[in-house]
Amino acid sequence: MMNVISASSITGSALDAEKMRVDIVSQNIANANTTKGTDGKPYQRRIVAFESLLDAASGPNMQGVRVSEIKRDENPGEIINNPQHPHADDDGNVTMPNVNIPFEMVDMVTATRSYEANLAVVRNARQMATQALSIGR
Amino acid sequence: MEMVASLFNSDNYTAVKKMMDVSALRHASIASNLANVSTPGYKRVDLSRSFEDELRASIKSRNADEIAEASPRTEVDTLTPSTRADGNNVQIDSELLGLTKNTMNFNVLTDFASGSLKQLRHAIMGRPA
Repeated sequence: MMNVISASSITGSALDAEKMRVDIVSQNIANANTTKGTDGKPYQRRIVAFESLLDAASGPNMQGVRVSEIKRDENPGEIINNPQHPHADDDGNVTMPNVNIPFEMVDMVTATRSYEANLAVVRNARQMATQALSIGR
Repeated sequence: MEMVASLFNSDNYTAVKKMMDVSALRHASIASNLANVSTPGYKRVDLSRSFEDELRASIKSRNADEIAEASPRTEVDTLTPSTRADGNNVQIDSELLGLTKNTMNFNVLTDFASGSLKQLRHAIMGRPA
């Protein structure tokens, strides 16, 4: 039974990581039109990278997951001509952030589905633990 | 006392206990696989095939000691091919199916264990509990 309970640390790590991915997606979408970030440059899309880590408490080969780093997408954003824009340069050009909304939506749906799959693990673990506790009743 | 000892040492009861351990380990493997569904290069973890053969043979032998000796273990499954560019070979739907199946199996096992204990209580009380 220790296994069922300790696997919850694996699932917990996954829920954290997927939540972080959704948070980053929402940050990207929120800043899809931010032409001047805190560094004075157009916002750069953030990318979440996952890595697995051995969870020795849950047994050999068992691996949790964590966000290893949050990178900036260095690809240049689209340059549009809009002389009325307050951030336009002398030629009237504005560099937009390199956020691609459809791409972010796909990432969000993927993260949500993974989150739901991990919630299913929690539900099943709880059911198994409850069943085991009621043996003999 | 003889009857009580024989109930707890019977091959069926020992096998059920062992298979509950196996079920818990399979659950942990599926938890690991679903946790890493988005991790590049991750290879899925499953019960070791050699253990499954060992368990099957020991249950067939109907020898409680032999069943009790089988130790559940896992292995990294590198045989399942990856259909993704990042080398990860976890299929979310088959893992979820395995998760549901495993939980159902566990329910059957706990029911059997409960049944054995209920029989014993029935015998002690002389009436259904």
